[in-house]
Formats: sequence, structure tokens, C-alpha cells
Amino acid sequence: MGQLLQLIIRNGGFFTLLLVEAFCFYVTVQYNTKQNAIFTHTMGLASGNMLERRQKWVDYFSLEERADSLKSANGALLSELAIAHVVQVPYRDTFLTVRLDTLHFGDSIAVRKIARPQYHFIAAKIIGNTINSANNWLYLNRGKNDGLRPDMGVVTGKGIVGIVRHVDPNFSAVMSVLHREARISVTLKNQKALGSLVWEGGDPSLMTLRYVPRHFDVKVGDEIVTSGYSELFPRGVPVGKVASQPEPDKENQYFWIMQIRLSQDMSSVNDVYVVDNIFQTELDSLKQKVKDE
Amino acid sequence: MNKSVLPSVWRFLGLVAVQGLLLHQVGSAINEYFNVLLYPLFILLLPVQISSTVAVLLGATIGMAVDMFYASPGVHASAGAFSGFARSIILAGFKPKGGYTGKEPIPSPVYFGWPWFLQVAGIYFAAHLFWYFSVNAFSFVYFTTITAKTLVGWSLTMIFVVLYCILFNPKN
Repeated sequence: MGQLLQLIIRNGGFFTLLLVEAFCFYVTVQYNTKQNAIFTHTMGLASGNMLERRQKWVDYFSLEERADSLKSANGALLSELAIAHVVQVPYRDTFLTVRLDTLHFGDSIAVRKIARPQYHFIAAKIIGNTINSANNWLYLNRGKNDGLRPDMGVVTGKGIVGIVRHVDPNFSAVMSVLHREARISVTLKNQKALGSLVWEGGDPSLMTLRYVPRHFDVKVGDEIVTSGYSELFPRGVPVGKVASQPEPDKENQYFWIMQIRLSQDMSSVNDVYVVDNIFQTELDSLKQKVKDE
Repeated sequence: MNKSVLPSVWRFLGLVAVQGLLLHQVGSAINEYFNVLLYPLFILLLPVQISSTVAVLLGATIGMAVDMFYASPGVHASAGAFSGFARSIILAGFKPKGGYTGKEPIPSPVYFGWPWFLQVAGIYFAAHLFWYFSVNAFSFVYFTTITAKTLVGWSLTMIFVVLYCILFNPKN
């Protein structure tokens, strides 16, 4: 306090100047029309500028929240996209499955009524992931309360990730595609040749594709997508590319065996979508009926 | 005490009267660039040893008095206060060898010579005029106009400052 007083006394002229100038500034703005107009205008600009800066900060700090809502929106769009590719159209006493882009009457009300969503996507974040075990698991920040059930597929925009196995109220455990028990039904994108994708350990970016019949001409670089027959994954989700020359399977000479390089890098997967097959219960009960017969 | 104060009081009254009744009217009649601000001479010619605090307060006082004639409350007062402070810095910068001895009561040509006085007054009035026109314009958007007015006003004012010193030869 004493030092402060000494400082003020030593620099008395300067502090007096500051006080007098502050007073003069007030009087000038208060009693001079021109200066008042300039001051009001400048303050208007400054406060507008400050408000804009404040808004930018608010926007910055709400980025996570906004990203979350965007992911949800993306999930909803993916759901729509899944039904947008293929629709069933009544034809005489049966239904024809037609790709939407080949329909000339795609906008008609009749088609829209028939087009029903089969999948809906739930956005989730990975909170735990392993890739170096013989059987790998992932953990999601979504659970039963978010609509997750066992046996739901997990995908990203780039490819497949795994299958939900255990569900708690708020979290769930996902069997990674890098798990020896995981079997994914896939197809060659251009040739519709079905196969089964398994992981035999080792390199986490490579999986083995089995049971592709030998009469298919498979080349390195051919794209692999999900077949849509497993009900876990929608048809056509990218999986990877053929990475090695197909060889006859030693266990079964009628089929090719080949390595597939995954399109989704499992070591850097972060945001995912859980695939909710809306008709899963209906399909399950149908299968049960067949079993019971 | 009275001997040193009275001349300043007379100078205060005389300069305010000349500024408000004569120079202001002449300036208004000619054009906006014709500005002769002679009243800051009162602040410059205050006793050398006076503290900067007093100089600032007296500068603001004479500025307020002039503001009454110019109908611009606060503008000349601001410039006057600034000049009171600037004076202390300029005088410190032009300190003669051995410092101010106390034999020279005021910084006038009689005691320090014309070259010294013209340098000090030149810088001092340039600072005062620039500050005055800045506060008057109240925005550096008008920087060119402020500078032009300062240059013209400074040239005219310096003529009047020299005339004043020749006529009255202020000694205390």
C-alpha cells in the first residue's frame, strides 16, 4: 500500500493527467454533439464486435455437443440411405426388388409408401479397443438405454467394425471383427460371389476370405462389401479389398482362400454407428418357426 | 510569492481574452484551417520549477476557460492538461548543462536564448495542437485532416508566439 502511494506521489503529474483526461473525455462526450455521435457509433461497433467474438467462443465450446448432434443426424441419414437404394415394388401377385436409381416413377406416392426402412443407425463412441489379442473386443458408450441389443452390427463410414455381444444399461461390449469367432457374410462387389470373412490372428489390417467358389475370377484389388444376408449389416457396406492372389483352399479345393485388407483401420476407429435392424424380432420369430417345424 | 504569481495571473487573463475574443473570431471568419492557439503559452511560461501536477491542473483550467468561448466543453481542457504534462517532459529533455539553476524563473528567450526557446516552443505547440485537433475530430479516421490542421495551425501559432515574446519579453 505504502509503495503504491509512493508510486502515485512520484508520478503525481501522470496520475493527475489521467484523472483530468478521464474527466475531460466524459465532459467532451457528454456536452459536444459531434464527439457524442462519434463515441456512440464507435461503442455500437465495438459492442457488436465483442458480441460476435463472444459468440465465436460459445460456438467453440459447444463444438462437442454440436458434433454429437451431427453424428445423430448422420445416423438418421444413413438409415434413410439404407432404404433409398433398394425398394420393393408390387408387380401382379408378387414384389419386385428394384434399385431406386433405375425407377422412373421413383417419386410416386405408391413407391414411397412401399419403401420402408429396414435399418436405423445409432451413433456411438468407442471407449475401449484392443487389436493385439487373439480375440479382440471394443466397448461403446451406448447401451440398452440407447436401444442397443446383442447381435447388432457396428460400422463406420469406411467399413465394418464388429458385432454387439453384451449390453449393459449405458455401455456395451462389441466383438471386434478381429475375433476368431467372428464370421462376416460378404460378397465381391462386382461379381456377387458370397464368402465368409474370418480373422486368423496376426496382422490386424488383414482378414481371410473363405468359401468363394472357384469359378469366380477374383483379382487383387477387387472390392469386398457386406452381403446383407446376415441381418447384422446392411447390404453393400464396404469391408476391404482383395490383398493377395486367391489360392485354392487346402481344406476344401472347390473354394478360393484369399487375404482381404480392411478398409477401416481397426487401430484408429473412434466414432461408429450401431446397425439396428428394425425387423430383427420379426425375422427371429420367423426363423424360430422354421426350426420348430 | 505575489511577484511570481501575479504575472502568471495577468498572462492567464490576457491570453484567454485574446484567444476567446480575438483569435477565435478571426479563425471562424477566415476558414477552418486558420487556427492560432496562443493560450498554451501561459502553461509554457509557468515557473520552471513548478511540478507537473500543478502544470496539468493549470493547463486544464485555462483550457476550460477557453472552452467557454469555443462552446466546446472539455476539448481545450483536455489539450491544456496534456500540454501541462508534455511541458515537464520537454523541459526535462532540453535541460541546460548543469540543470535549471533557479536563476531562470520561467522558460523564456530572455533567459535561455531564442534557439533554445524556439525548439522547446516548437515541440510543445506541435504536441498541443495535435492533441487538440485529435480530441476535436475525435476519431483517427480524420488523421489526414488532423495532421494538416496541426501543420497549418502550428506555423501560424509560432508566428504569434514569437510576436508575443518580442512584444512583452516575459521575465517572470
